[in-house]
Amino acid sequence: MPLSLALALLLLGALACAHAADPGAPTQVLAVDDPEENRGNALLVSWTAPEELLHLPGMEPVGHQVISQQEGREPVLGPVVPVEVTEAPLDGLKPWPWRPYQVGVAVRYELPPELAAAVSALPGVEPPFVLLQSDPFGPVQPVGTWYFTERTNILVLVVIICAIVLATLYAVRGAAEKVYIRPIAGLEAVNDAIGRATEMGKPIVYISGLSGIGDIATIAAMLILGHLSRRAAAYESDVIVPCQDPMVMAAEREIVRQAYTEAGKPDAYRPENIFYLTDSQFGYVAAVDGIMVREQPAACFYMGYFFAEALILAETGNQTGAIQIAGTDADTQLPFFITACDYTLMGEELYAASAYLSRQPLLVAQLRGQDIAKTIIAAILILGVGAATAAALTSGRLAELAERFVAWFAS
Amino acid sequence: MRLQVPLVITFLVGLFMAVQFFVPHELAQGPYDALLAWSRIVGAFALVLGIGSLLRTHWEKMRRRRRDWPYSLATIGSFLAMCVIGLGWGHEPGTVFDWVFQNVQVPLDATMFSLLAFFIASAAFRTFRARSTEATLLLVAAIVVMLGRVPSSLIVLFGQSGLGDLLSDRLPDISEWLMNVPTIAAKRGIIFGVALGSIATALRIILGIERSHLGGGGGGGE
Repeated sequence: MPLSLALALLLLGALACAHAADPGAPTQVLAVDDPEENRGNALLVSWTAPEELLHLPGMEPVGHQVISQQEGREPVLGPVVPVEVTEAPLDGLKPWPWRPYQVGVAVRYELPPELAAAVSALPGVEPPFVLLQSDPFGPVQPVGTWYFTERTNILVLVVIICAIVLATLYAVRGAAEKVYIRPIAGLEAVNDAIGRATEMGKPIVYISGLSGIGDIATIAAMLILGHLSRRAAAYESDVIVPCQDPMVMAAEREIVRQAYTEAGKPDAYRPENIFYLTDSQFGYVAAVDGIMVREQPAACFYMGYFFAEALILAETGNQTGAIQIAGTDADTQLPFFITACDYTLMGEELYAASAYLSRQPLLVAQLRGQDIAKTIIAAILILGVGAATAAALTSGRLAELAERFVAWFAS
Repeated sequence: MRLQVPLVITFLVGLFMAVQFFVPHELAQGPYDALLAWSRIVGAFALVLGIGSLLRTHWEKMRRRRRDWPYSLATIGSFLAMCVIGLGWGHEPGTVFDWVFQNVQVPLDATMFSLLAFFIASAAFRTFRARSTEATLLLVAAIVVMLGRVPSSLIVLFGQSGLGDLLSDRLPDISEWLMNVPTIAAKRGIIFGVALGSIATALRIILGIERSHLGGGGGGGE
């Protein structure tokens, strides 16, 4: 073993500096960019195995190992592949503007397994190994892709929609009061719900969905909570906000606190009414159901993204006799809310609620932009139906163009 | 400053997030991964806030002997017991923590979930009362879909008669059509609206038009 250890240390030391190929090492090493990998983190390395493996006393060859080294850095050993394999991906690299790499391949020799296990059992001792390394290849570097060409259709549509919304903001903001907003019954009923809570002296329960703060539906729900709290604060009604996500709880506390301050009732703000329950889906439902049954709220709001718990919450609220207003973009849960709640904001109405409740000029103007974008999408849909029909019924150049039109949107 | 700094951060991060979706290069995806890791770290710290809120709420309830305070005692007691068991003996399969989770938490979750069956029945009863043309259409469509999903029930209802055979032959197709054509059409309409609403909401938050989430009023021209 001392001989093996000395040999391993000698060869490992040699590895750190550029050197000529070791005898018995792989030859003709080639490293090229992995075309399947867009990020620029991988090279495909190929090599020619040595014609005959050297016999090292007390050690046996276990496979080939790819070694990469960035200038000024320690060499990094890749995974060991079987001796008969002559190509392997090399991951975990960086493209330009990071420094390029020198890549080599080595035949790896280790102690026989039983001896290696015995050495491993010794405290602080790693089993030795020997690498017979090829000539280094390089400098070489993976190439990262700068653009997802397959996402061009998304980019074009997003840019068009954003441009429309921004242009409308600019054009309409001076005359936002003239913009017609379709009455949304669910949002008209918000004042009634708050009034009812005030008259009955009972609280309002507000649930902002079961997805995290990163979900746009949760953000929309938090915006509505801000408006609702401002009005509830004016009447000094309690708003109970049980949360399933601690980050949402922290944000909602700040929103409600600010709403009470803006309403001139900072002393009426009760942070203990906005609290964390649990991140367990049905544990949360059980707790909220308990709150509803005990507190008998005058109004329940369900805004945001919901899963299977939607109907359990809404039916429990229904049984307590509360006015219920729901708003969600979860199309699978909408039927349950429509069934169990008095008013339901469907899909985009959830996102329009902030503008509807605040009537701020820029927010109202943005609704107009959304409607224009929707009209364009409807036109594209009609064109798409026409193109798909034309592609199916005709042939030649027209059919080809129609097919390409449909494929561009479908890809 | 209290408002401007968050607005600038929101704008820059929002813009970066939009751009990185179209740029697969390491220069875009590396920072994106880092931001995701940061959000997990912030989430872990927020969990401490959440647990603090939970304990404070129930402690106050116990201290003031409010209504149903023994439930708060059970909550805090269970929380502390699980902490001690988990920290003391680990949470791998086969440990006491795992046993309690599998034999208390999972059945309780299943119990709550199973309530859904009864709530669906009560909600369906209210919805399917044919009091208007729309409700009648809904009722008929629901019956067709339900029977179409279990065609053997038609044989049970009508026997091996001509009508039973005809209905069990046709209703599954009609049911599929109802689910795949009118239902999907309505769903897609909703999804289009949601997508546009999401883009517009994201845009107004990134551009600082909507500020109410920052505690700065409703925004939008204020």
